[in-house]
Amino acid sequence: MGERILLVEDDPQLGAQIVEHLQGAGFEPTWWREGRVLTAEGLPRVSLVVLDLMLPGTYGLDMLKSLRSFSEVPVLILSARNDTLDKVRALKLGADDYMTKPFWPEELIERVRARLRRPTLQKAEAVVEVGALRIDPQAHEVSVQGQPVELTRVEFALLAALARRPREAVTRQWLVEHVLDPEREGTERTLDVHVSRLRRKLGPQHGVETVWGVGYRLVPGDGS
Amino acid sequence: MRLRLRLALTVVAVTVPVVVGMGYFQHSLRQRGQEEVLEASTLARMQAGERERCEASPETWTVRRGPPGQGALRESEPRERTTPEDESGPGRDSAPRERGLDGNGGPPPDRGPGRSGRLPPGVQHFPYDASFVSRNPRAPVLPEELVRGARAGQGTVILHSTQEGRPILDVLLRMPWDGGPCAYILARREEPPSPPLGGMPPLEVLAVPFFAVLAVVVALGPVIRRVRQLTDEVRTSAVSHYQQPVSVRGNDEVAELARAFQEARAEIQHQLSQQEAREQALRDFLANTMHDVMTPLTVLQGHLSAMQQRVGRGEPMEPAVMASAMGEAHYIASLVHNLAAATRLEAGEPQFQRAPVDLNAVVARVIGRHQPIARQRRISLVSGVPEAPVWVNGDVTLIEQAVSNVVFNGIHHGRDEGHVAVVLESTRQGRFRLRVIDDGPGIPEEERARILERGFRGNAARTRGVEGQGLGLHITRHVAHVHGWTLTLAPSEYGGLEVALEGEVS
Repeated sequence: MGERILLVEDDPQLGAQIVEHLQGAGFEPTWWREGRVLTAEGLPRVSLVVLDLMLPGTYGLDMLKSLRSFSEVPVLILSARNDTLDKVRALKLGADDYMTKPFWPEELIERVRARLRRPTLQKAEAVVEVGALRIDPQAHEVSVQGQPVELTRVEFALLAALARRPREAVTRQWLVEHVLDPEREGTERTLDVHVSRLRRKLGPQHGVETVWGVGYRLVPGDGS
Repeated sequence: MRLRLRLALTVVAVTVPVVVGMGYFQHSLRQRGQEEVLEASTLARMQAGERERCEASPETWTVRRGPPGQGALRESEPRERTTPEDESGPGRDSAPRERGLDGNGGPPPDRGPGRSGRLPPGVQHFPYDASFVSRNPRAPVLPEELVRGARAGQGTVILHSTQEGRPILDVLLRMPWDGGPCAYILARREEPPSPPLGGMPPLEVLAVPFFAVLAVVVALGPVIRRVRQLTDEVRTSAVSHYQQPVSVRGNDEVAELARAFQEARAEIQHQLSQQEAREQALRDFLANTMHDVMTPLTVLQGHLSAMQQRVGRGEPMEPAVMASAMGEAHYIASLVHNLAAATRLEAGEPQFQRAPVDLNAVVARVIGRHQPIARQRRISLVSGVPEAPVWVNGDVTLIEQAVSNVVFNGIHHGRDEGHVAVVLESTRQGRFRLRVIDDGPGIPEEERARILERGFRGNAARTRGVEGQGLGLHITRHVAHVHGWTLTLAPSEYGGLEVALEGEVS
C-alpha cells in the first residue's frame, strides 16, 4: 500500500478534500483535526507530515518544534498567511517545505511526492539506470538494453551530466560551459550537434529529451 | 508642591540652622570674651599692687576702681606675668581655659592691651587661701565645681550659674604665688538680666533667611513663567496631535527642556505618520481587495452556476467553462497575494524581511503553483535550475510573488499548447539570472518601456485590460527594486517575451 501521511488540518472541508486527494494519489492519510502536543509515542508511523500552521489547541510551529525534538520525518507546512516571518521560522525549526493557501490539489500531491522522493539523491559516481539506459560514470560505460554503446568523450560527459539528475532539465548554458571542450569554441549550436549525434548512437530509446526554452533532460526513453 | 514654595522652604531649611548656629557661635564668643577679660584684668590688678592690699587686709579687701598702677605697667605687665605662670606647675598645661596665657605669654589679640587693666562693671573680687576659705565674711562659699577644678590643678576655673534669675559668671584664679590669704581670687560678675531676646541673634542676622527667601521667590518668577508657558505650549501641541511646535528661547535648562520636547515631538510625529501610512495601506488594501476580487469572483460564480445548470439538465460538462472557472479561481488567488505584496511594499521597509532564500525552491514552488492551470491549457511549463541551490538574501514571499507574476502572465497571455520556461542560472561572478521565457504574443517595445516606467500606484496597474500585464509586473518590478536586482523585458528568441531578473547571490 501507499505511504502513510499525517495531516493536521482544522478546517473540516479542506481536511476532507486533502484526505480524498491523498487517497486518490495512493497515500494512506491520517487526519488530525486539531493541534496536539506531540510526543515520540503519540506520533503515528508516517513517512510525511502535512501541518497547518493556524490550529486550535497547539500552534503549528510549536508542534513542529516538539516533533523535531524526536523525529526527522519530512514536514510540509500549510499556511493561509502568506507571511515571510512564518516561513523563515518554520524552515528554521526544521520544516522541509511549505505551501501557501490557496493551492491546487495536484500541487499538493506533487509536493508530497517530491518530498518523499528526495532522499534518493544520486551519488556523483553511482551507476544510473534510466529506462533502457545504463550509465556507469566510473567505468565510462554506457549500454542500451545491455548493449554497450561507444561514445566520444564529449558525448559521454553530456550523458553523464544529464544522468546525474534524471528527469530534471539541465540548461544548455550549463552544458556548454561544463561539457564542451573549453579549448574549442563551444556554442549552444555545437551542443545541439553533439546531442543529435548522441541520440543517434543511443537509438530510439535514448531518452534525451529537449526541454523547451531550457535545455535537455534524461527520461526513461520509450522509443517514441 | 509648587516650585516656588518648595524652593522657599528649602532656603528656610538651609538658612535657619545657619543663622541659629551663627547666633550660638556669636554668643559663645562673647561669653568667652567676658571670661577672658575678667581673668586678665583680675590678674593684672593683683599683680599691679592689689596683692599687697589683699594680703594686708583680706577681710575687707576690694579692688580699687580706676586705672591700675603707673603708665609703665601696661608695657611690663605681660612679661612679669609670664614668668610666674610658667613656674606654676605642670597641671596648668591641661587647663581648659588658659588659652593665650601661656605660650608666648602675650595677651590674646582679641582682648586688646587696654582691656586687661580695666575692670568690667559689676565685678566683685573675693580672696581665698590655699584651702579655699576666705577671710572676707561677705565672700560666698565657693561652689563645689570651682573647688574641684582648682584642686585638679587648673589655674583658672570658670563657672556659669544663675542666682535669682540673674546669670552669674564666676572666675576662680590661682595667683602666681603660693600661700597667704590671697592665693585664690574669685572674680564674680553679675550680668544684667538677659533681655527677652537675649539668646537670639541680632536682627540683621535674622533678616538673612527672609531676604534669601525673597530673593529666591523673585528670581524664580521669570523661570516659573517660562515653565508655565512651555507647559501650556506642550498641552496645546498634544491637542493638535503634535503638529504645533513649542517655542525654544534662550540657552538654559528650560530651553533645553523645550528642545527635548521638540525632539520627542518629531519622533512622535514620525511614528504617527508611519502608523497612519500603515493604516492607510490597510484601508486601501481592503478597498482594493473588495473591488478587485469581486469581479473575478462574480465570473467564477457565473461559471459554477452554468455548470450546475448543465449538470441539472443532464448535459455533459463543458471543459472550456470548467477551465475558465479554474482560471478565475487561480486569478483571484494570485490577485490577493499581489494585493498583500503591494500593501507590504507600500508600507515600506519595516515590512521587508530579509533571510536567505533558496531560488531553486522558489522556482519549484512557482512551477508547482501554476502547473495545474498550464496543464489544463496544454501549456508546457518547465524549469531548469542549477544542481546546487542558488541562495539570495531577501524576502521569500515577495520574491516568490515576483517570479510567480511573470509565470502567471506567461500562462495567462500564452496561447494554448504554448510554452513557458523558467531558467535559473548562476554565473561565476557570484550573480544569478532568472529568466521566464514564453512563446506568447509578447509585448511591443514601447509598451515594455511603459510597464517599467509606469508608477507603482494607480488604478491602471490593477485592471486586467488588454495590455493585461496588470498589477503583477509592477509588483515584480518593485520587488526587484527593493532587492537591488535588475528587471529586463525583452523579446524571447521564440517570438514571445523574456523577462529576466538579475542580481547578486548571497
